[in-house]
Amino acid sequence: MTSVRSALDGLPGQVDPIDGAPDADATVAPSSFEEIEAVLDAASEHHLRTLIWGGGSHQGYGGRLDPVVVLSTANLNRFVDFQPEDLTVTVEAGVLVEDLEAHLEQHGLTAALPETPGTATVGGVVAAGISGWRRARYGPTRERLLEVTLITGDGRKVRGGGRVVKNVTGFDLPRLATGSFGSLGLIGQVCLKLWPLPPAKATVMASDGDAALATAFRPQAVVEMGGSARVFLGGTPEEVEGQASAIGGEVVDGWNWPGELAGEVQWSLRVPPSKVRTAINEVNAKYEYQAALGVGEILIGGPDGDVQALRTWAESVGGALVLVAGPAELYERIDPWGTPPPALSLQKRIVQRFDPVRILNPGRLPGGL
Amino acid sequence: MTLTAELRDILGHDRVLSEPLERWVYGIDSGVVRGDAELVAFPETTAEVASIVGLARHYRTPIVARGAGTGLAGGAVPTQPGLVVVLTKMNSVEIDEENATAWVGPGVINLDLSKQTEPLGYHFAPDPSSQSACTIGGNIANNSGGPHCLAEGSTVSHVLALEMVTADGDVVMLGGPAPDPVGLDLRGVVVGSEGTLGIITKALVRLTPNPPDVRTLLTAFASVEDAAATVSGIIARGVVPAALEMMDQRMTQAVERFVSAGFPTDAAAVLLAEVTGLSAAVEAEAAIVEEVAGQNNATTIRVAADEAERARLWLGRKSAFGAVAQAAPDYYLHDTVVPRTKLVETMTRVYEIADRYGIMMLNVFHAGDGNLHPLMAFDSEEEGMLDRVKEAARELVEICVDVGGSLSGEHGIGIEKRDLMKLVFNEADLDAQARVRESFDPDEMFNPDKILPAGSRCFDLGRPPLEGMWV
Repeated sequence: MTSVRSALDGLPGQVDPIDGAPDADATVAPSSFEEIEAVLDAASEHHLRTLIWGGGSHQGYGGRLDPVVVLSTANLNRFVDFQPEDLTVTVEAGVLVEDLEAHLEQHGLTAALPETPGTATVGGVVAAGISGWRRARYGPTRERLLEVTLITGDGRKVRGGGRVVKNVTGFDLPRLATGSFGSLGLIGQVCLKLWPLPPAKATVMASDGDAALATAFRPQAVVEMGGSARVFLGGTPEEVEGQASAIGGEVVDGWNWPGELAGEVQWSLRVPPSKVRTAINEVNAKYEYQAALGVGEILIGGPDGDVQALRTWAESVGGALVLVAGPAELYERIDPWGTPPPALSLQKRIVQRFDPVRILNPGRLPGGL
Repeated sequence: MTLTAELRDILGHDRVLSEPLERWVYGIDSGVVRGDAELVAFPETTAEVASIVGLARHYRTPIVARGAGTGLAGGAVPTQPGLVVVLTKMNSVEIDEENATAWVGPGVINLDLSKQTEPLGYHFAPDPSSQSACTIGGNIANNSGGPHCLAEGSTVSHVLALEMVTADGDVVMLGGPAPDPVGLDLRGVVVGSEGTLGIITKALVRLTPNPPDVRTLLTAFASVEDAAATVSGIIARGVVPAALEMMDQRMTQAVERFVSAGFPTDAAAVLLAEVTGLSAAVEAEAAIVEEVAGQNNATTIRVAADEAERARLWLGRKSAFGAVAQAAPDYYLHDTVVPRTKLVETMTRVYEIADRYGIMMLNVFHAGDGNLHPLMAFDSEEEGMLDRVKEAARELVEICVDVGGSLSGEHGIGIEKRDLMKLVFNEADLDAQARVRESFDPDEMFNPDKILPAGSRCFDLGRPPLEGMWV
């Protein structure tokens, strides 16, 4: 049996430590699924806690992790298969969301992934289950995941779903993988369903978000921030013009997406759409916020102290208050997820079967899974 | 005590069927696979379902959950002596207008929900052809589709939360009314799991706003190629219509004899396109559909003049399977998906198979999704016919997989396609799916022998977990 040290030295794809990633004994950036299988097989054998790292933009979600190995997807960056007429694209996990969307835009298409992704990778967005503002129109990211290739915790490559836009062939691994934070396996490759970009786009600056939401017919998004709202419209020029004048307010050509919230601490408050107004009333006097009207997610910049009352209320209406960024000490004081989901034992049984030794991002999911 | 007696203690005498004649119909679905329902129970509440599961566990009896029995893949057909739990009496509907959602029992009939929400300006988007009979529980089990899933997505896109009785008899809530419930998306994996992971007792479904305007266009073509090129052309122009349905000549002829929907029977293919939305968008998109159809040599382009004509066109589309009954006593309806760009190639090969086996093949399908429904009409009394049909069906699936397609778009795997799963997944893939199943139901009490071929759980864990690795 090899020692841990020689196992670490023998991992393929060794690179320098990554800026922003926690300290680890080894950092690897494999460039093939075979190399990842080898890394995870060794990690399972030697019980090496492994942190998967995409662009580093959603590492604030979930429990903190003290990794032995940081596994970067930076070298998994190939465009595998693009079928514009079928409205599908297949890419490896490390492809940047920005690069994918820029490529798709040249063909008049979009994957409707987050609009201001920064360094986010496709794999990271899928692993964290993050959606763009346009989920109001196209549904969350999980609606667009047609096929997934996972390298499980015990180092086996498995594929679920298929590269067709409609599919009920076996258990839906793509959905299970979306938002799994790597707990089942490293998301190596995904096939996404695409949408045509609308021919005309506009942003309407509306004073009353609720009224705008009620007036607009299936807008791309309505985002309220600081007491006023932006209504994102897309469609034919006549349709967009007609909608914009019905809503009223200054009209800007194109989509003017909100920027990042300021501040070190950020939360995602998730409530049923009908509770968004109550939620905004709770936070607007004190904190910066961006609320997805009609969806129910409110991003909040700020509270680093007592959030229990807000969390208790959110959970009582069927939602959650999730810490998405903040200093390490905050995670020690406050559970980033809140109350774990009711079917926790089922969740645990699934994770155990995909990552038996529990080496992949252990502790990141709710309930310490 | 026996299971029958204990079930009757809970449900009363009338809600448990044990006589062969009474339970015969619960041993089959609408497909070609036959089974035997040994015992049939009709719960009315979640608590009753939980008690039934507890009893079944005690008596080591498998359970098959069942809705209206309109499935075509044998998903609700028992393969072992056991209990069929029919959920049609659990049909409550609670509409939450503020959130545009509804809590529904699994036994609610699909179309009934849309009828109930219509006055509020909403509908339930998945609309299988069987929507006037099929239940939402069945839709969830099979992740059902329908013509309007092209733009709106299949059932899974419309289910926010599920109340489910687990193999342990516990009642759990999966998902929730707010976006992105924390933890793994168990709701997402239960949808489409064909009753193998638990019994759904309630579902929170999303309602879709009725479009302010709608145009339905009938176009006809002298060749299937032209019709398929029109499908691709429309989408390439950036239009994803609400529905894009194709019928071949044999099918339109059968439908016309049956309901007189107004389809031109001399055309090789008819394409039904529907665009919805605000009037400005509908006009623009309808114009694109007309233009693209014209470029592809359409022989007929007709916009439904009024709601009555639109309803008649859709009646024709949704009566297709009924119409086939006039052509032959039996039919075998298939459901496969291919990439949209492979439609013509696949269709050509499908017709070749039909000719080679001497079977009448009709096609009606969701062209926009690449979701084919080749339908073989035959007389099972004819010597050797059933075997020929089954062989032809297998070849047909192989062709679809060969061009990059999948086994099923909306009907599920059930028993029918279970052993074909190996065509699309390797051992490791199937093992991963078996691991999901095992996590929920290690003893395979729920709907045994479905979806996964025998022996799918083939890899064993080589290493023991380290104590304390669970943080």
